[in-house]
Amino acid sequence: MFEQILNAAINGILLGGVLALLAFGLNLIFGVVKIIHMAYGQFVMLGLYLIYVLTMQVHLPLVLSALIAVFAMAILGLLTQLLVIGPLLEAPRLNQLLALAGLIIVFENLAMVIWGADYRGIPLYLPILKIGNFFIRGSCLFAFLGALITLGLLYLFLNKTYIGLAIRATAQDTEIVKLMGVNSRSVYFITLAAGGALTGIVAAFFTPIYTVHPHFGSSFTIMAFIIVVLGGMGNLLGGFISAFIIGVVTSVSAVLTTTEIADIIALLIFILVMLVRPQGLLGTRGI
Amino acid sequence: MLEIEGISAAYGEFRVLHEISLGVRSGETAIAVGPNGAGKTTLLKVISGLLRPSLGKIYFDGQRIDDQETHEIVKLGISLVPEGGRLFPYLTVLDNLKIGAFSKKAREEFRKALDEIFGLFPILKDRKKQLAGSLSGGERQMLAIARSLMSRPKLVMLDEPSSGLAPKIMARVFEFVRRIKSQGYSILMVEQNARKALELADHAYLLESGRLQFHGGAEDFVKNPYIKKAYLGI
Amino acid sequence: MRSPLNIKRGPILLTVILGCLILFPVFSPSPYLIHIITLIFIWSYVSTAWSYMGRFGLVSLGHGAFLGTGAYITALLFNFFNLSPWIGMLIGASGAVFLAAVLGYACFRSGIIGDYFALVTLAVGELVALSIIAMREITGGSLGFTLRSLGNSPLYFQFGSKVYFYYISLLFLLFALYLWKRIDKSKMQKALKAIGEDEVAASSVGINIIRHKMAIFIISAFLTGIGGVLYAQYITYLNPHTLSGVTVSLAIPFKAILGGMFNIWGPAIGTAMIVSLEEYIRVSYGTKFVGVSEVVYGIALITLIIFLPKGLYGTVLEIFHKRQRSAETIT
Repeated sequence: MFEQILNAAINGILLGGVLALLAFGLNLIFGVVKIIHMAYGQFVMLGLYLIYVLTMQVHLPLVLSALIAVFAMAILGLLTQLLVIGPLLEAPRLNQLLALAGLIIVFENLAMVIWGADYRGIPLYLPILKIGNFFIRGSCLFAFLGALITLGLLYLFLNKTYIGLAIRATAQDTEIVKLMGVNSRSVYFITLAAGGALTGIVAAFFTPIYTVHPHFGSSFTIMAFIIVVLGGMGNLLGGFISAFIIGVVTSVSAVLTTTEIADIIALLIFILVMLVRPQGLLGTRGI
Repeated sequence: MLEIEGISAAYGEFRVLHEISLGVRSGETAIAVGPNGAGKTTLLKVISGLLRPSLGKIYFDGQRIDDQETHEIVKLGISLVPEGGRLFPYLTVLDNLKIGAFSKKAREEFRKALDEIFGLFPILKDRKKQLAGSLSGGERQMLAIARSLMSRPKLVMLDEPSSGLAPKIMARVFEFVRRIKSQGYSILMVEQNARKALELADHAYLLESGRLQFHGGAEDFVKNPYIKKAYLGI
Repeated sequence: MRSPLNIKRGPILLTVILGCLILFPVFSPSPYLIHIITLIFIWSYVSTAWSYMGRFGLVSLGHGAFLGTGAYITALLFNFFNLSPWIGMLIGASGAVFLAAVLGYACFRSGIIGDYFALVTLAVGELVALSIIAMREITGGSLGFTLRSLGNSPLYFQFGSKVYFYYISLLFLLFALYLWKRIDKSKMQKALKAIGEDEVAASSVGINIIRHKMAIFIISAFLTGIGGVLYAQYITYLNPHTLSGVTVSLAIPFKAILGGMFNIWGPAIGTAMIVSLEEYIRVSYGTKFVGVSEVVYGIALITLIIFLPKGLYGTVLEIFHKRQRSAETIT
């Protein structure tokens, strides 16, 4: 039993890497545009479908499909900014939230119309590694490493480039950044595109792990919320750490109980954190 | 260099500026004084494009700018040091200076501008790697001024640079302003502390409840009995 | 501020509308229309109850929690213990009130407002849905369960004809609207308005913030819990996704916002608009491809939110007031 729990914890850490990547995008968008992207998980769902179609039906190589999906999700991010978020920037909070929630309805049912309710996946068999008494799925390890590399690249992008600097500055003071000669509207577009591209990358790493269906996204949106809030909204480092906490907690409690109870536990943690320490473990701050 | 013709502005239905006209000549330091709520900050916001005027025109170097966006206006050579500095607290001192030089032209001259700034304000060089949020009040104001110079402006606008600072530090801030004035920048400064500000001024304007009440050279200003009584306390 | 229903015409117009609604089933040959209007009544009632608090800046994105709690408790008591839903609904709604009291106290005591309150309630709605699913031995999990049918049995809130539900839900809606008026005339309205505008200022003039917020939250949750029972009794089928969880929790504020949550008629008008739109789209596209109607519906919702930020009725009122004001300045 103990070994089983430890094994679940290891898998939780591996999953945490990808969750960290997912939460990073949500956090970035919240930090810069100050908007909670309700339909973020649905982007991942669409990315998974796109990779599926390009690989299984258009017969492109998997890597090329994944690259196209990343690009397509970035475009979808731009469109979201252009058509939904942009027109609502000055609107009441509730209207922003509900409009983005409207996107959930659109995306999920679009998937339903095009692909139906069946579960779809690309049959990929990565080996299961046996280390000592532990079993580690190759696909999870691959996703974990890929997510860490992506996060490293993102860190460099934010800290070493002028655009990254503009993004961080916008997150800290939306008005003053204009006085620096930054076109904040372009920064919003870049942020949404980056956030979109991230969902494409997450989808690529999810492809060997999960099968996709129209309602695939919602649980990941909620998971990403939980992580972002636990780490402190807008706090990228906090999000990174709490992704691993949530990854381990859900995967261990799923082994001990059922997946639903694991989700309930994650939600309870979320609610408790909100009530007791709404600024999150490491506090809210600019990026 | 900067000409403002009959500007009015409002927040929603609340009018803050009533047909203000003023100008800043090249190389000159102009000061706008007046009590709290006179519309001084609003005036600077309108010039920098953060707030659209409801009436009137603004020209900079002969070019109309009142319909331009803030980031375009910055590129033309107007920079604003906002009240309280408004630094990016989680960026280092160096990154704050870097973002100040965001526009393409300024970016090309970044190295040169940075050397000049470090010459003018040597402390910033020592504090380069520190987060801006950890600086002291005076240092923050210094960095805010330095940051605005990084965009290679022709006109530097300062919004209440001395507000909220202890008298000793206040004196240092005016000293910074004197330093940049001696570098040949044109300056438009808005200040509640009229006496100190007038020491630096070539030309001064008095704003009261959104209207321009008086303007003239610094000496005419000091001689005016009303201003003497109400703002200089003599 | 005068509304388009001005003082003289208002009561007459209202009486006419009410009269038409009461007489409608008598003359209408179409059970389908009666069904749709019954749905409009039920959801109008719920979104009105939501707006009780929404209009004071207490935006809940988790009213599905109260809907589900009320409906499930009542239905389970009926199915397992044969307790009449008329009595059960009080217990069910008390369950919703208990949940609201715990949640509200925890939130308001720690000063959770705005986005944070919205997110916490969203999570609670989802939590209730997941709990219902997890208790699948008695609730049927995500497949839901059907109410035991007794045929025509008014004592057990079951009727041979849908027309009964039409009148019952109309009564409930009228009650919710009446309660809105009562709240508007009470001291509580002033206090909540002050709190909604500025909490610090409100507490500095001696308004007890927690108590007032708790009160309106509990009232709203109680009515919503009963709304869940109403819907479940009418449909005779309970499903965690239609009674709780994110989808329905967001659908309620959608209706209120699109009508205009600051006016008493707004939520009902919004509901009428949304339910009709849903039905229209479902009838025109739904039969061809599964999902197309929802896609169109989603796009319509987003478009409406962007172009009618104050809701349909709110926007109409605003235009009306502007006209009136400019007419006044001219004369």
